[in-house]
Amino acid sequence: MYGGNNQFDGNAAFSGGGFMPSQATQTVGDHSFSPAKNRDSQTLIPLTVKQISEAFQSSDDKTNFLVDGVDVNNVKLVGILCNKVERVTDVSFGVDDGTGRLDCFRWVNEAVDTKEMEAVTNGMYVRVHGHLKGFHGKKQLMAYSVRPVDDYNEIAYHFAQVIYVHSYNSLRKQHDSSSMPSQVPSSAFNTPLKGYQASASNQFPGYSMDGIRGVDKMVLDYLQQPSCLALEKGVHRNQLVQQLQLPSEKISEALDSLESEGLIYTTIDEFHYKSTGNG
Amino acid sequence: MDMSNPAVFVNAEFLKEHVGRKVRTVVQVMQSDGDKVIGKSTDEKELVVKGNPPNALSTFVEVIGIADTIQSIEAEIWTNFGDTFDVNSYDKVCRLANGDSKHLFI
Repeated sequence: MYGGNNQFDGNAAFSGGGFMPSQATQTVGDHSFSPAKNRDSQTLIPLTVKQISEAFQSSDDKTNFLVDGVDVNNVKLVGILCNKVERVTDVSFGVDDGTGRLDCFRWVNEAVDTKEMEAVTNGMYVRVHGHLKGFHGKKQLMAYSVRPVDDYNEIAYHFAQVIYVHSYNSLRKQHDSSSMPSQVPSSAFNTPLKGYQASASNQFPGYSMDGIRGVDKMVLDYLQQPSCLALEKGVHRNQLVQQLQLPSEKISEALDSLESEGLIYTTIDEFHYKSTGNG
Repeated sequence: MDMSNPAVFVNAEFLKEHVGRKVRTVVQVMQSDGDKVIGKSTDEKELVVKGNPPNALSTFVEVIGIADTIQSIEAEIWTNFGDTFDVNSYDKVCRLANGDSKHLFI
């Protein structure tokens, strides 16, 4: 997968954020991200060519672009392929998504790449993923995935996604890093999600007026999450207080009640609990 | 990068605002003659699409071309979108692309 070039740059190779570029060449010196920055700046953003034309370069020397205040590195476009020119080591083409036309190129080091590019022709609707690059003031997309669109509902979907991500990022920019009111759908987007962890608590039902019963259920639901079931020593009581944002006494009562009903049990000490069920 | 020739997302309603400009829309083919197609827009109105339709047209077709009147388009590009298509979603995107999110498109 990383063959073709002899240098295996671990940092660049694993910085794909889910996409593993088949070309190991990262020509424009963007190797040396710190790991934390890597994860944030390698998210995939759906954009229109118009947005790309208006993106400006951040003051980094890393040639990062900013759209709506968000670092843009991996971009997704959906549009009509045009001006395809095949050369020995690369294929250049344009993508016209109705808002503008962006020049793109794709390295073809391996058979997989060539095969993928042969499957797309001028006039065809394609979905392109790539890195946004600046080159002598011009913006270009270094594509690492070019695939035909099979279901044309994807076009409306892509633009709806563009609109959503734009709204999300713009609102986030306005509110700085205060967390969003719970409108964020769970996992649809890889937008930089610093505020996302905070919204996890929105998944649990609100504090119930049934008193004990409601809290019991909340505690039990929490302990039955796959991530908690996977923990051998279970969850510490304090973590429950923190995650569910409930008073310690209520949590204690709930834990005692659940334990007496045989729904949970203590593990390494009296503070760690695990659910008996399989969730 | 070439930003000189954008095509605006329209339905029958927004077509009226963009006469003379390059537009794009999806129609459901109702009737097809040699040189034009009568279609139903995504907001359920009749549109006429002139030009050279391809021989085989699927139920839904995307056309990109110049809006020559408030009810017709002179199409340059025809793309078959198949026999099933979510007209509702496309229509909603049209509205957004002409409304609050216009700056993302044109």
